[in-house]
Amino acid sequence: MTGEQFVFLAVSGLTIVAGILVVTLRNLFHAALAMMLSFLGVAGIYIMLGAGFLAAAQLLIYIGAISILIIFAIMLTRRMMQAQDTPFNSQAGAGLVTAVLSFILLVFVITRLWRNEIFDSPPEVPTAIMNQIVVQLGSDFVSPGAYVIPFIVASMLLLAALIGAVYVAWPQVEDEA
Amino acid sequence: MEFTPPEINLLIVAPVLIIMAAGSLGMVIDLFMPDGKKGWAVWLAAIGLLLALAQNIALWNGNYETFIPQNGVAMVVMDNFAIFLNATFLLTGLLVIPLSRSYLQRTGLEKPEYYMLLLFSISGMMLMGMANDLILVFLALEVLSIPLYIMCGMLWPRPESEESAMKYFLLGAFSSAIFVFGIALVYGATTTTAIPLIFDAVAANGLNAMIVTGLAFLMVGAGFKVAAVPFHMWTPDVYEGAPTPVTAFMSVGAKIAGFAALLRVLMLALPQASGEWVTAVAVLSTLTLIIGNVVAIRQGNIKRMLAYSSIAHAGYILIAVAAAADNPSAGVSSALFYMFAYLFTNLGAFGMVIALERNYGEGNLLDDFKGLAKRHPWLSLAMAYFMLSLTGIPPTGGFSAKFYVFGAAIEAELYWLVLIGVITSVISGYYYLRVVYLMYMFDGEGQLITGRALQFAVFVMAISTLVLGLFPEGLFNLTAEATLSATRLLAGG
Amino acid sequence: MTATIDWYVALSAILFTIGALGVLLRRSAIIVFMCIELMLNSANLLFVAFARSLGDLHGQVLVFFVIVVAAAEVAVGLALIVTIFRTKRSINIDEINLLKG
Repeated sequence: MTGEQFVFLAVSGLTIVAGILVVTLRNLFHAALAMMLSFLGVAGIYIMLGAGFLAAAQLLIYIGAISILIIFAIMLTRRMMQAQDTPFNSQAGAGLVTAVLSFILLVFVITRLWRNEIFDSPPEVPTAIMNQIVVQLGSDFVSPGAYVIPFIVASMLLLAALIGAVYVAWPQVEDEA
Repeated sequence: MEFTPPEINLLIVAPVLIIMAAGSLGMVIDLFMPDGKKGWAVWLAAIGLLLALAQNIALWNGNYETFIPQNGVAMVVMDNFAIFLNATFLLTGLLVIPLSRSYLQRTGLEKPEYYMLLLFSISGMMLMGMANDLILVFLALEVLSIPLYIMCGMLWPRPESEESAMKYFLLGAFSSAIFVFGIALVYGATTTTAIPLIFDAVAANGLNAMIVTGLAFLMVGAGFKVAAVPFHMWTPDVYEGAPTPVTAFMSVGAKIAGFAALLRVLMLALPQASGEWVTAVAVLSTLTLIIGNVVAIRQGNIKRMLAYSSIAHAGYILIAVAAAADNPSAGVSSALFYMFAYLFTNLGAFGMVIALERNYGEGNLLDDFKGLAKRHPWLSLAMAYFMLSLTGIPPTGGFSAKFYVFGAAIEAELYWLVLIGVITSVISGYYYLRVVYLMYMFDGEGQLITGRALQFAVFVMAISTLVLGLFPEGLFNLTAEATLSATRLLAGG
Repeated sequence: MTATIDWYVALSAILFTIGALGVLLRRSAIIVFMCIELMLNSANLLFVAFARSLGDLHGQVLVFFVIVVAAAEVAVGLALIVTIFRTKRSINIDEINLLKG
């Protein structure tokens, strides 16, 4: 087993185990920590796939911002931090069946892929591109010959989300009768 | 380094820009306006929508493309298909505003955020029609949905409103994640997310398991948005809990936008897979028609009844989509016609529900319709007309729409689907006409609260439905032209 | 044998299924939302994996947009969760049933 394989198995194992923990832990706070671990694993996978900049972005945004927001929400809804009788909801039976069926579908697709020749070996991404990626990304995001429209739409999305979130979460001014 | 101005023609995307600018402008103006004056947001929104509509119509037949990245395929296209859909969304917005005005005042919701979020949502819907790249479809889906999540919950701290927002949010985020996974699978199989290039890749290399799976995931994601069965679970609860004008807006706008995404994906990216998806769409359609129409019978709450009714109407549109596999021009243009007619009819029906709802949550039961005919004869007549149209009885826009859809399906030889459509239409007559029966045959204390704006809007919608019922050919020609421009790839052009 | 692209796709599929399981099975709205984030991450993984195997940077750019969307959803979703908690003192999905008619 080569080093690369070993690292892959380790990192992906971490990601999967952390994911399972998110689904099964009763304590919300522990589940949030498990989620952060899972994001860390995904960042590791990005590094293995040669997407260093993305890995850094993943760390900053997912672990550094989104996870912290979720922990804020857990803290603010404090009573739910206690363990519950059963973490599973009333739809567990149907949900389990559906998810297992979807998993079988996915496994089927993947095993078909195994014989697909496109994926024999990943081509080497030239180092010149790898070094330039940040510059390339930056110019792509604002160049009308590239991704400026999704960029602008994404910023409008953030604006709308901000407005909405502030509106909903604003503390009530009038007293509750 | 010299600065060379980029070669983009902003006029092409001006409708969306106008709406986005109006929304942002509204938030800025809100900072400076004194708290007492609340009506300005309505006018800003209305003017923005009208301007965008005018600009939109001016672009007809232009077939513009813009924002062309390196792969040579434009990200945004303003073909007639997009222009038609844009007009639909802008009209939805223009009609929802007068409908919601007095309701908002009654329930204390009259804040500029409502109108600005409405505008943002409409801009997302418009982008959905214009998108030529899957990632833009996804972003547009989110831009239209996130303001809707908030608008459902705008009546906080009423728990029903908050619950509906929460349910809509969780299910919406779930379906978005499925949709993105589908995009990833299609990207992996074809190296691109641009819709025409996906078409080329499939034409060149044929289908493989990954594309078909990606397509399945995309359809599931879009299926949630249009509330097809079995992805419809969220609809009744969310429609009931949201403020009724928001429900009206969602039932028309979000649904049509979901269909825009579905049509773009199925027709323009993956028509060669039509052998695979036509069965899936037909099955979805059957389930949706049956469950939507049958469960609607048992609803005592008019909002839930209209929720199931809108589920059922998604089923009729799905018949047109299934027909489009065999006969693109008939199928897609009848779908567009149906969506346009449905817009007026459904908003009109909701207009009555809004007027009937004295306060949030009160006045929503079917029993509240009793005796309305005596006190408000004209509006009751309009409501009766909308109910006829929703059932599909001539001469209404609803009948013309179903006529075209069933016609397209017959041409595509989907006879059993048409049979189910007709049977369920007859079944739907029971619960639609029950409303008319309650209004005219009973005595009751039903009271409508209407302002001039709402009356005017309902009047406009009733007239439009009548026009669509009597002279449908004009609109049908428009939709045919829209379809032609969108499917020019398939026509070999 | 190096870790071919299939392994990454398999990892992505497994993560997606775990996330979907969580959404369907768990009771707490926050956990459901965390599982949705897992699903989005799995899709991102798929994008990056394909970007690598196809030698095309387009996939990595798309990941950014998905991350932006996830961030926007977090903001809105958590605002809604906090609001519901203020009103009902519970974010248990089974108890969000005022609207069952």
